Amino acid sequence: MSPSVLICDDSNMARKQVLRSLPEEWKNTVQMATNGAEALTILRDNSIAVLFLDLTMPGIDGIGVLQGIQKLKLDCNVFVISADIQPEMQSKVKVLGAKEFLRKPIKADVLINHLQQHGLL
Amino acid sequence: MSEFHLTEDQQDCLEELINIAMGQASDQLARYLDTFVYLKVPSIESVDAKELMQTLSQQENTMAVVSQGFFGYEGIRGEALLVYQEEDSGRIADLLGYEPDELSQDEQLIDISSILTTTFLNVFARQIDNQMSYNAPKLLPSAKDNLSEHLQQMPFSWDLALKVNINYQVTDYSFNCNMILLIPETAITNIKHVLDRILAEF
Amino acid sequence: MSDFNALISTKTIDILPISEQALKQINSQIANQLNTGVLVLDANFNVIIWNRFLQIHTDKVVKNTLGKSIFSVFPELPERWLTRKLSTVLQLNTPSFCSWEQRHHLFELPHTRPITTDSDFMAQNCTFLPVETDCHGKHICILIEDVTDVCHYQTQLKNTLIELEKISRIDGLTQIYNRRHWQESLEQEYSKSRRHDKKLSLIMLDLDYFKLLNDNYGHQCGDMVLIEVSTLISSLLRVEDIFGRYGGEEFAIILPETELSGAIDLAQRICNIIATTELIYNEQAINVTVSLGVAQLSTEESNYEELITQSDNALYQAKALGRNQVCSTA
Repeated sequence: MSPSVLICDDSNMARKQVLRSLPEEWKNTVQMATNGAEALTILRDNSIAVLFLDLTMPGIDGIGVLQGIQKLKLDCNVFVISADIQPEMQSKVKVLGAKEFLRKPIKADVLINHLQQHGLL
Repeated sequence: MSEFHLTEDQQDCLEELINIAMGQASDQLARYLDTFVYLKVPSIESVDAKELMQTLSQQENTMAVVSQGFFGYEGIRGEALLVYQEEDSGRIADLLGYEPDELSQDEQLIDISSILTTTFLNVFARQIDNQMSYNAPKLLPSAKDNLSEHLQQMPFSWDLALKVNINYQVTDYSFNCNMILLIPETAITNIKHVLDRILAEF
Repeated sequence: MSDFNALISTKTIDILPISEQALKQINSQIANQLNTGVLVLDANFNVIIWNRFLQIHTDKVVKNTLGKSIFSVFPELPERWLTRKLSTVLQLNTPSFCSWEQRHHLFELPHTRPITTDSDFMAQNCTFLPVETDCHGKHICILIEDVTDVCHYQTQLKNTLIELEKISRIDGLTQIYNRRHWQESLEQEYSKSRRHDKKLSLIMLDLDYFKLLNDNYGHQCGDMVLIEVSTLISSLLRVEDIFGRYGGEEFAIILPETELSGAIDLAQRICNIIATTELIYNEQAINVTVSLGVAQLSTEESNYEELITQSDNALYQAKALGRNQVCSTA
């Protein structure tokens, strides 16, 4: 059974890049959000199992989404996918509950590998 | 002019590439400067020649402009301008790890500009399978009066400019500057080919 | 990505139409004919390679150079600064530059051209390039370009521009400010006074019977008088006062942060010194006098031109009252 997936990134290309990297059987249950506010609405109203989250976005950014998830006490596997790859940022998102920090541009094999490590595949 | 404008997809693709390059460049800089570099969402605009003149002439307190040419394979080339405001230059020597009396204010600006430009463009070039070479950076004399003059006197006529607002905050100190990439017509066509090639992979 | 730069490329060797040996020979001969210094350092900043240009210009012995630290080979280099710069190149893998405009030269090399300049050494543009090798790790290539002539002509141009700038502000005959510059200064002083609520006074003065003097003694005498009077007045002014030639025989003085009584006082002293100083032309003694009008900025004026008009009116009054005297608007 394929889990409900949300991809949140302000870049269309980045969203497509994540989508393309997902396992085939996941691809028809994917929702998209173009900013943090949209993502939080979808997260609140749906039960999302896996979230792929960009950090630098206008308005509510990735950090804001992570804080929102904590506040709403949602049970969701968050994979941060960001261009801002400094070690401090990586540990910050882990503290805020992200499962993994993946650097952009995302590669399919890397993504699959991490999903397997967390028992999602 | 409109034929040089990027399509929505091309613009999005370019922004994402710049985003990634900016992220990796600031990671390199953070390691080099031995401090955390807080990177704000870089705003990226593509503007045509006329618009840019207007924006720049409206900009008050422009203290300094450092220009540096870049050129790579596949006809990708242009000139990077780093535009500083008056209040941004105070502690650059400190940031770069020099003693203040070791180098003049001009040299500090030239150094930081060259580092920002080359780290960023190196990463950017790598993403599009390219490699950049650079001219020596040059501080333009008294920026306020001469910026538009300089833009008019450039050896190539450029048609599109990418304006990337960079904001580096370094733990207890922040500095802002605008990086403006001026790109001539032929290079735009080449960049569009590269972007289309990347987009075709999706 | 194909590499078009065959001269330094190793990747494309298999498609080269010549042997590797020939390529090496060509590379080294070109490097030694270059009119640019080429210096390669290892990651510890020891000199690994230098080309003929440097060998000739530094007059150093090979065995004291190769394998030695760049700072012991070239003790003139600013060690702390350059160490930081070289580290940047290695760490960020980016090129770095140093222009003669910021540092005239790094290496103390003699000129290659007999041009007289301010420095004994060759002006240089230096480029620091990261160079990676497969088996020996990271290196830095330093390119040293001779830009002595560029530096020379740029300096000349700069001095000429400064001179031109000065000329455009100065009256050729009297060497005091010309009208255009004087008026610009007044405009600035006017807005400064308005902004900071500071006092500002103005003296306009005119030589009496100057036309007659020209008619009797000739224009050369008139010119001499203008020069002498300018010198006399200048000797009475403070550095912040702005003295200009307003017209033919008319002068004007801007007195920042000066109130009317101080301005009248100065005008009176000018009037006296000119009237009592004998000017000599062709061994003849000539006496000249001036009339002066003084005004102070009040709340009334809405632009600097009005201040000129007021001083001018006072000057007209001094003329009407018999010349060789000071009048003011108050």
